[in-house]
Amino acid sequence: MAYVATRGGESAIVQSERLYRAGLGAIDADRVAEVGSALPWLVDRVMGEASLYEPESAALALAQTGGDLYETVLLLRAWRTTQPRLAIAEPVLQENLFTHRRISAAFKDIPGGQILGPTLDYSHRILATSVLEGNPFMPEPVAPADEPAPARQPSLAAWQKAQGLVADPPREEVAPKDIPDLTREALLFPAPRAHVLQSLARADTGGVLTLGYSAMRGYGNAHPTVNELRLAEAEVCVRHPRGTVFSAGRVKVSQAEVAAKEAEGIRLGFAATLGWNEIKVISAATLDLNAPGAAKGSPVEEEFVLYHTEPVEASGFCIHFKLPHYVTFQSSLDAIRNAKTKDAVPAKPTPTAAKTKTRELEKEPAE
Amino acid sequence: MTEHAHLLGILARARPEGLKALAERLLPNLGVIEVLQSRTGLVMLPMRDTVKGTDFHLGEVLVAEAHIRAPSGEEGYGMIVGRDLDRAMAMAVVDLTVAVDLSPTVAEFVEREAAHLAAMDRETLRAVEATRVKMETF
Repeated sequence: MAYVATRGGESAIVQSERLYRAGLGAIDADRVAEVGSALPWLVDRVMGEASLYEPESAALALAQTGGDLYETVLLLRAWRTTQPRLAIAEPVLQENLFTHRRISAAFKDIPGGQILGPTLDYSHRILATSVLEGNPFMPEPVAPADEPAPARQPSLAAWQKAQGLVADPPREEVAPKDIPDLTREALLFPAPRAHVLQSLARADTGGVLTLGYSAMRGYGNAHPTVNELRLAEAEVCVRHPRGTVFSAGRVKVSQAEVAAKEAEGIRLGFAATLGWNEIKVISAATLDLNAPGAAKGSPVEEEFVLYHTEPVEASGFCIHFKLPHYVTFQSSLDAIRNAKTKDAVPAKPTPTAAKTKTRELEKEPAE
Repeated sequence: MTEHAHLLGILARARPEGLKALAERLLPNLGVIEVLQSRTGLVMLPMRDTVKGTDFHLGEVLVAEAHIRAPSGEEGYGMIVGRDLDRAMAMAVVDLTVAVDLSPTVAEFVEREAAHLAAMDRETLRAVEATRVKMETF
């Protein structure tokens, strides 16, 4: 088998890119700022999948691609490689999160209480069509409480472990520089838990939802209930050259634990991501819960999940099928022609009919 | 938290205009500054899994970093989340000023910004508290 070298597409390629970009028009700082302020949840989703926290760059990538999410994530992942790694921050601990939302569907009276935070969970979803008739939608302001909520909320899992409801395995202390890192190492199976959780953190939201939903519907080993869901801000704690550890600022993070009741107690699955993206972390935690003991090739098995939810690899493999595969089809055409020629022999076609058939096949585009 | 950590944490989240203006005022007192670093880059952010206690990488954060040295050999450092190199440099200038000798101007600025950030957090948390469910069981 060999590829065929061709030419003649250069001008078409240049014009096709121009045609694509003509549809998007000029991109300036105002448009980027507007994307950032109008679509914060989309920006968050993109940052999680790109595994790069930078809202302004994420908004720019969205503006530049016209909202094609896979192109957006690809742009950000590619741009990330131009930046040096300056440091590894101190690990984010749940108990230090500046918490905006923290709920449990499994336990009503959790330590610290249930705080809904920003959500549409209990709202009617009604399209504000009056906006299109010239009446702006003005959201009602929040009526703030007299006293603030505690900035930090206790860990439900820690409480459950203390109660003996959840297993509390001894943890291995790993220096931040020694944490397995998928951006520098290949994903191999069985994967270390650090790779699994990093993969899920940067996974495609739609991908983990699809597979997680299959587990929720019964194609998994365990039915999830949200043990704890958190939307929060985490401090990025870095080290000053003189050794002082300080916060260089905050980033938004989401985190979910899902629970399954078992004979020995409660078993938990976990996931987290950059940005606020509840669907993703609940689905990913469900996959973490279901992975142990899953059959090879099942939709919740570790290798199946992690290989098929990587957004850049999955979308890249899909779109590569649009690119020329001429060699494959040339040989296929030859095979079809041979088969048809052989089939044609027993029917003893008239010479005129045979000539017509050959001409029809020859009308197909040269591959 | 040490005093230095508190100072750096406040500077990293201080309002950019005020921080930059403060650095402009402090700069002439520091002599000829050597810029060791002024760049953007990535900080990998690990997180601890609450189920098995595994530390894993959540993703990378874009930061701006500045590292400077005064003729006396003292160094100043700034790192902020985001891409604003001027903010990081202003933070480094203030940090260097403090390393050389704590200026009352800096102390006032840090106190003012700390109060501002605390007020912002309080407003956020008052809105968050308004969403607390006061559950009654029948």
